Amino acid sequence: MERVAVVGVGNTSFKARHIDKTFPRLAYEACKMAMEDAGAGKEDIESVVYSIYNDFFEHCAMPDHHIHYLLGFARKPGSRVTTGGATGGYSVRAAFAEVASGLHDVVMVVGVEKVADLANVIEMVKSITFAADPFFEYQLGASPAGSYGAAIRWHMENYGTTEEDMARVVVKNKGNARLNPDAQSPIELTVSDVLKSPMVIYPLKILDHCLNSEGAAAIILASEKAAKRFRKDPVWITGIGASTESGRQAERDYSDASLFPAVRNSALSAYRMAGISDPSEAIHVAEVYDSFSGVEICLYEELGFCSWGEGTAFLKDGMADIGGKIPVNPSGGLIGCEHAIGATGIYQVVEVVRHIRGEAGDRQVSGAMRGIAQSMGGARGAYSVCIVLEG
Amino acid sequence: MPEETDLRFKPISYKDDFVIVPDRWKVDFMVSMGELSVFFRELKENAKLMGTRCPKCGSFYFWPRSWCHDCYEDCQWVEVSQKGSVTMFSRVDISLSDLQKEVPFYQGGVHLDGVRYPIVALIKNVTMDTLHKGMRVRAEFLPLQERTGRIRDFYFVPDV
Ligand SMILES: [Zn+2]
Repeated sequence: MERVAVVGVGNTSFKARHIDKTFPRLAYEACKMAMEDAGAGKEDIESVVYSIYNDFFEHCAMPDHHIHYLLGFARKPGSRVTTGGATGGYSVRAAFAEVASGLHDVVMVVGVEKVADLANVIEMVKSITFAADPFFEYQLGASPAGSYGAAIRWHMENYGTTEEDMARVVVKNKGNARLNPDAQSPIELTVSDVLKSPMVIYPLKILDHCLNSEGAAAIILASEKAAKRFRKDPVWITGIGASTESGRQAERDYSDASLFPAVRNSALSAYRMAGISDPSEAIHVAEVYDSFSGVEICLYEELGFCSWGEGTAFLKDGMADIGGKIPVNPSGGLIGCEHAIGATGIYQVVEVVRHIRGEAGDRQVSGAMRGIAQSMGGARGAYSVCIVLEG
Repeated sequence: MPEETDLRFKPISYKDDFVIVPDRWKVDFMVSMGELSVFFRELKENAKLMGTRCPKCGSFYFWPRSWCHDCYEDCQWVEVSQKGSVTMFSRVDISLSDLQKEVPFYQGGVHLDGVRYPIVALIKNVTMDTLHKGMRVRAEFLPLQERTGRIRDFYFVPDV
């Protein structure tokens, strides 16, 4: 298997609405920035993987091939990956496979989403719930928050996690976003501000939710041989693990300690591939899928940053802060920076690469040599991808 | 003829310097339930919950599966117990679904007696104070004339 490097990264700013740009334009801007970052030309790109979650968001059932020719790639290979919130992670995995197998030397991945073209939030959520089990469960009125709410309540009951603890995640991530010029929600908040926001699905209040964002992110992957052609030092993908669980979330209720078994499995395989035996020591920075505040606390445990039930202590001790032992979501994450779904897993890689290169500006995690990007999707994280990046 | 409210025929509007084009996707379906038909017919006509059992390993599936994913054998229809226990749960205070507008409502995992996996379901006549893991519940059905043969024809209530 060829070694695979990230040689270029780019992203647009993230906003609730890019009224001045269509989805191909957002994709173009992220791609152009990634090519400039790599010192690559259009002719260097042999194949493109499009990371686009939901046909309804783009108002087009096959949005990828309409971006492809507008980018000037007609007649080159172009394909789309869509796996819910893990669309970005699985897209990187598909492009990784193209390079690692020797099929191509240079492959670009671009993720884009234009959510606010849907007329309102009800239509947006409706488009997401079309992903539920189409025979039995989709008419139950479940929602993305509903699929996570019950799991977080379980964590509260078993480990004593409180709504206040979860609010600290929001304060941290929106605070980190203030250091990120591309972030959608750079806000200074207190725990009590979060607790006072309206309850949506117990225990999740409005401010515990991730953002709905428009924007795009792109990365360029290259084989070791091809990486030499480009401008900057490569950042290597040394581990990539993926797992897809039952799409019916209740079937997973009787798992062992893991509330998100796909996350656990994806992390274990990524760590094994990267030769990491103790993630709590080996990882210096992490961008993870904080779809809801309480989820981030669960992820500290699932990803092996601490033991089962220790997630809240990990947070309260400042371990997840910039300057802590493993800074988590220095970009602001899905709560503070962006959740343009198809772009999210790509942007996580962009962010970790910038930290490893020392290009993360005011939010730079010092001494970051190795980091992970983890994204998940489907009912309560049915899909998960975990990517290990090293300088 | 275009409907009055059909966004596809509304003129464009403007926001600052930019154009907004109203549009609508309207897609109707007539979905064939094929090998799962027994479940929907028994639910609507007889208020019965039908599951399936694997003849080889004995796994009892509800929601029904027409084949066992462990053995790759075809399963047989068997009626399921209408009683079970709550696994996980939460309360919805702001509904973002046009299928379930009344709030608050409660949804959670219900593990029917004897079957392999819990399902997600609506739970009624409960509060966050009375709901707990292991709580016994039973299925209740809408009256025949209100049932449409869909999953919302039944829900769970405390079994007291
Ligand atoms: Zn079997």
